[in-house]
Amino acid sequence: MKRLTFTVVTVLTLIALTFSIALAQDPVTIRISTWAGVDEAAELQGLIDEINASQTGYQIVHEPIPSEYFTQVQTQLAGGTGADLYWMDQNQMAIASEGVFLPLSQCDAVTNAAPMTAGDLSDYYPGILAVNQNDGETYGLPWIAQPVVVYFNRALFDAAGLDYPQDGWTWDDFTETAMALTQDTDGDGETDQWGFINNGWPPPTIFIWQAGGELISPDFASVPIDSPEFVRGFEFYLSTAFNPELSPSREIISEQGFNEMFKAGVIAMFMGGAADDLDRVEGLDVGVIHVPANPETGSITTFAWNASTAINANTAHPQEACDALVAITEAIQGWKIVSPRISQASVEHLVASEPRKEANAEAIIAAAADMRALPIFGNYAEFDALFWSEFWGPLLNGETDLSVAELAAEVRADLEDTLP
Amino acid sequence: MDLGVLNTYLPTLIRYVLVALGLGAVMLLVYRVQLRFGIKQEAAAGRALVTPWVIGFLVFNLFTIGASLYLSFTDYNLFRAPEWVGTDNYADLFDISAVPLESASQRSSDALPRRHDEIIRVTVGDSGFVVGARESDFWRSMRLTVIYAVVTVPLGLAGALGVALLLNQKVRFIGLWRVLYYLPAVLPAVATALLWRWMFSSSGIVNAALSPFLNFFGLPAPQWMTNPGLSPVLFIIISLWGVFGANSVILLAALKGIPKELYEAVDIDGGADWAKFRHVTLPMLSPALFYNLVTSLIGALQAFEVAAFIPTPADAGTFLNWQIYQEAFNFRNMGMASAMAWILLMLIIALTALVFRSSSAWVFYQGAREGA
Repeated sequence: MKRLTFTVVTVLTLIALTFSIALAQDPVTIRISTWAGVDEAAELQGLIDEINASQTGYQIVHEPIPSEYFTQVQTQLAGGTGADLYWMDQNQMAIASEGVFLPLSQCDAVTNAAPMTAGDLSDYYPGILAVNQNDGETYGLPWIAQPVVVYFNRALFDAAGLDYPQDGWTWDDFTETAMALTQDTDGDGETDQWGFINNGWPPPTIFIWQAGGELISPDFASVPIDSPEFVRGFEFYLSTAFNPELSPSREIISEQGFNEMFKAGVIAMFMGGAADDLDRVEGLDVGVIHVPANPETGSITTFAWNASTAINANTAHPQEACDALVAITEAIQGWKIVSPRISQASVEHLVASEPRKEANAEAIIAAAADMRALPIFGNYAEFDALFWSEFWGPLLNGETDLSVAELAAEVRADLEDTLP
Repeated sequence: MDLGVLNTYLPTLIRYVLVALGLGAVMLLVYRVQLRFGIKQEAAAGRALVTPWVIGFLVFNLFTIGASLYLSFTDYNLFRAPEWVGTDNYADLFDISAVPLESASQRSSDALPRRHDEIIRVTVGDSGFVVGARESDFWRSMRLTVIYAVVTVPLGLAGALGVALLLNQKVRFIGLWRVLYYLPAVLPAVATALLWRWMFSSSGIVNAALSPFLNFFGLPAPQWMTNPGLSPVLFIIISLWGVFGANSVILLAALKGIPKELYEAVDIDGGADWAKFRHVTLPMLSPALFYNLVTSLIGALQAFEVAAFIPTPADAGTFLNWQIYQEAFNFRNMGMASAMAWILLMLIIALTALVFRSSSAWVFYQGAREGA
């Protein structure tokens, strides 16, 4: 019995080790984790198959984590069991400051990248690339930066006898138009069509930046939310939310759904990401234009949601991971819109990536030129939660009697305590 | 077969095999050592067979419990080594202030120290006081969780007892009724939470049912999920859904075990149905009620799924378990989250101990009395 047990254990171990050593000569496997759902994962797999077919040194394996993505990624990284590559959105990229990602300065595929390729850092919009940078190092390659644009329902404009929004339109034009489009169309005494919708989205930074304000100073040393510019921008933002003169109440939005209200044809103007499908809703004729400009500064700066791919600092195959990163980023930039690369800021590239956006491609590309990303730093999650719970939320939900300026002065110090 | 993929996952597979073989070896060792000490073969085999479970408990339970206690005294963000901060996390959590108000309308921010937010305000006439805390979210969640537990546990027990008594009747299709009442207990908590969320939305079925009364009295439709005052009510209603089934089965089993002779004795003494219930059913059910009380109390204090899928307004707080999860994985304050978890554990232990201490006054163990 004893001899049999010993023999079985020894044989199994030897087989396993031999098998492992024999396989070690095969191409390196690079694992990539993403939040892709079923359909998105299938499309991504198509890109990965093409890359794998052209490579002999590595093969990419996709490991989608469609739910609780960031929680799982954090625990994987902390436990040392993570994939080689990770998708990270702008907020998640904050963990780059913890040293969990490989600095791209250690990647030959990036430092020796040909101009105007995915590895060429100078080809990215600086503000988008900055999300991936910390202490002078770059930790991720962006693959999407979709600016917020205004989707407008042409039929509702036509019915109201209003001109469509045009380049150069301002906050005042926007408000006036939204009010004119807020109507009781069936005469029952209840408003059933609104000019705009705001339930906390779009982000207020659009209007703050346009007014010349900042959420966090560029050197991450202060939170100047009590500046007149910030206050002006935030006040305008608040004027568009749950304002019965131009937008539905939170109860109506809760009942009917946020995007769904636009798709149902009861919202005339909607601020959404450029990649959203709001301009291809069956039965709706939807146009796209950049966000309205601040009337004083003329700025049409807009918010850009962006995401990147980063390399696990503990990858066993750093150079192959770098090669895979550049290859897959190049492929995704030809699939997702809007590409965060300056050389790809063209209608042709956008339409090639997403033919269904052809009708509004020009407006989207124009908006991309004025997009900005959030000022991300290591502790951004705590800053963001505090900003919402102490300032944004109470003002948006009418839970404070204080003015924007008064509350800003009150919470500024608390917010600054979270800065690096 | 894709050998590259196999190569990636083979080390993990080998680890699994080696762990299994290692456990087998330890079991064998435990068995042999016991035999050497003269322990009977059957007993030795039993202990050897539970060895993997004991090792699993030590590694995955005891070690992690100890680790979380240690982490509660550290500043740890998952990626950097934990930094010892002593009792700072607990001090922050218990940094509470109670300040008198100059007038009932005085703003909390004017009354409370900096970084303290209001948890509760008590006003009498034009005066009163406000209680605030540095970690106000934690205490708001504590308030909601305790209210939820204190209200739902007795209600759930009373409801379960009523259902068990009904299911103990000799009526037609009793099997069907039992299945129907137990059904909620087997449905996924997430699915039912989403259903409740839909039902309590402002245009949901609950408000639709209430609308005739609301219209008659000229009242607005209740906003169950955005009104802080209604949040506890919403969760209490939801909690009663699942409690009946699981607890009722235990109480029904206990009812079946009550000897008929006891009821006959009451009949002989001329007692009515109430006397039977008061002096036979309740005392005989008390061990099962005690068990249900303890498990329901612990379950209520650890509520998680409903908090994850039904939003609450900030002023109402959320459930402690969800708050701990947010602190740990959204803000990566593992040290603070661990401290919160230990306070929750202490609360559960204290309340459970209270229930145990009270049990001697109301729990009747037949064997114990007979033996006494």
